[in-house]
Amino acid sequence: MRASQMRTFDGIKLTARRELVERTRRDRSFLISTLVTLAILLAIIFVPKLLGANDPTEFNVGLAGAASQPIGQVLTAQAEAAGIRINLQQPASAADAEAAVRDGKLDLAVVDGRELVAKAEPDEQLSLLVQAASRAARAQQTLQSAGVDQAEIQAALAPPPLPVRSLEPVDEDARSKRTIATVAVFLLYGQLIGYCFAVAMGVVEEKSTRVVEVLLAAVRPVQLLAGKILGVGLVGLIQLAIIGAIGLAVAVASNTITLPPDATGTIGSVLLWFLLGYAFYSSMFAVAGAIVSRQEELQNTATPLNLLMIASFFIAFSSSVSGGGDTTLAKVSSFLPPVAPLIMPLRIAGGNAAPWEIALSLAIMLVSIVAVVLLAARLYEGAILRTGARVKLSDAWRSGRRQPATGRA
Amino acid sequence: MLELQGLTRRYGDVVALDDLSFTVREGQMFGFVGPNGAGKTTAMRIVLGVLEPDRGEVRWRGRPVDAETRRRFGYMPEERGLYPKMRVRDQLEYFARLHGLSTEDAASAAGYWIERLGVADRAGDRVEQLSLGNQQRVQLAAALVHNPEVLVLDEPFSGLDPVGVDVLAEVLADRAADGIPVIFSSHQLELVERLCEAVAIINRGRLVASGPVEELRASGGERRYQVEVADAATDWTSGLEGVTVLEKHNGRVVLAVEGDEQRVLDAARAAGRVTLFSAVQPSLTQLFRQVVQE
Repeated sequence: MRASQMRTFDGIKLTARRELVERTRRDRSFLISTLVTLAILLAIIFVPKLLGANDPTEFNVGLAGAASQPIGQVLTAQAEAAGIRINLQQPASAADAEAAVRDGKLDLAVVDGRELVAKAEPDEQLSLLVQAASRAARAQQTLQSAGVDQAEIQAALAPPPLPVRSLEPVDEDARSKRTIATVAVFLLYGQLIGYCFAVAMGVVEEKSTRVVEVLLAAVRPVQLLAGKILGVGLVGLIQLAIIGAIGLAVAVASNTITLPPDATGTIGSVLLWFLLGYAFYSSMFAVAGAIVSRQEELQNTATPLNLLMIASFFIAFSSSVSGGGDTTLAKVSSFLPPVAPLIMPLRIAGGNAAPWEIALSLAIMLVSIVAVVLLAARLYEGAILRTGARVKLSDAWRSGRRQPATGRA
Repeated sequence: MLELQGLTRRYGDVVALDDLSFTVREGQMFGFVGPNGAGKTTAMRIVLGVLEPDRGEVRWRGRPVDAETRRRFGYMPEERGLYPKMRVRDQLEYFARLHGLSTEDAASAAGYWIERLGVADRAGDRVEQLSLGNQQRVQLAAALVHNPEVLVLDEPFSGLDPVGVDVLAEVLADRAADGIPVIFSSHQLELVERLCEAVAIINRGRLVASGPVEELRASGGERRYQVEVADAATDWTSGLEGVTVLEKHNGRVVLAVEGDEQRVLDAARAAGRVTLFSAVQPSLTQLFRQVVQE
């Protein structure tokens, strides 16, 4: 008994190892898909930054005429506060200023403290800053000429900012946690759909090449199924870890996000839910593969599962955008096994999943995984040797019991 | 001894096997023949545990065969099965490991069979890059790589060129000489007759004949004689009771004879000078046609 149990694990281990070795070491598509996903992830990280850099943070402003000069000092100070640099220039005359603006050497020119000259529509932020500076300069002049004390002018024109009182406690890390979780759910969804489909394709490959018959002379169907799911899942997990680690390192190094102190918790929960989601979906995809005999037919049988996954992804994603996972839809779908693996990491990261919700969701998830895996194993056994027309699930269910795996040791 | 006992298997309403029993001795080359759809593949799949019978069982060395025992069987399915993208050596080592060999044993066994079957220069190639003939050699290596106690091969000769047939025949004879029962199905009956000690002929899921080839031929149906009579009238056989002329050319006739053959000889001598009178044993092909048509 013990020996045969050990053999059971041997069979699973060997088939899992084959998947791992063939897919990572012998197949270039692993490297390619890793690089492509990484490229997409880096694009997600850097594109907003690059787009942000196109928002100009430096302007050339010309001050023509003595009346324009007081604006300069105020403008520089206020712009600095807004994170914008202003290069002040002194065109000799109004005509010079206009020419410089026309040539694009100046973004804006203040002429004799009376008008702003722009080539066309001036940059909104710049024009707001210059208008404010001009108002302040004029007010200062007016007050000064009215004989008001310099200190009083300062106090009146630059009052301290109003304090802010938040009604709810502010989690400084919530934003970066949510960013991590959102990116993670994207990745997770990609890995889930990619590797579940890989399981289905692997099953069809074994069936269509008939190698399954040679395999089943040595291992039992459940061993073969378990080995494939574990092996392919491990490849997916390794890839997820590589992509996640590089992506996170780059994002932190480039200051795109600041790593919250419990980032490991967030990442850990993402990995956990990936495993649960994979366990839930992969065995169903294996059945989708087992009931057909050719790769082309797989599209048909896998489509319902793909749709289920896409729908779950959109529920999870939309609830993360609106309300950070705090909507009724988000709460209800936390208890639906197809959606839970995608939505729970978001809700946990956002801090709006109560402990009882997490526990209940986990429990429902585990129970449904056991049910789905048992069901799938039987269907797989019943269908894997039947080539030709697509196997009906009811037929697979009936003949699933006759295979040696269930009866004999 | 490998014993198939009362194997019965239905697919819905179709009876694929109906109470099939026969025995293969250790060291015996055993031919398994029958028309297409007779149930050969089903029977072999049951022996390998790929399929479960509705009734009956398979015994090896007196004990019912279980999954553990079956791992020491070698199997080559009719529809060849290899991973097309896996490399030849990797694949053979993998199969050897699945059948319970250690890593080192698997590596050396794979190396041996790659060499022996003449695919050493392709060991690092993906299977899909090989010609069909070479793929078949790899398939055979996959059945042999774990040094099985029993060999079951479904149509191993189909698709092989004459050189490939010779290589395979030699390997199988070699295995049998090591005391392994080698059972294979084939439609090439001359080949079966040449290689096998014993055969089983099945039709529509039932056994119609089995036993040593010589015995079957000796007992098969009516006896035949080849007779040549010089200077005889061509119709010297007419009027002989229970004698049918099967072939006739250049004064030589092949006769099917019921009952005493001495009276046929007497009639021949009366007709002329008898230059040839010999018993002819039916070929396996003739036997096959006969039992399958009955």
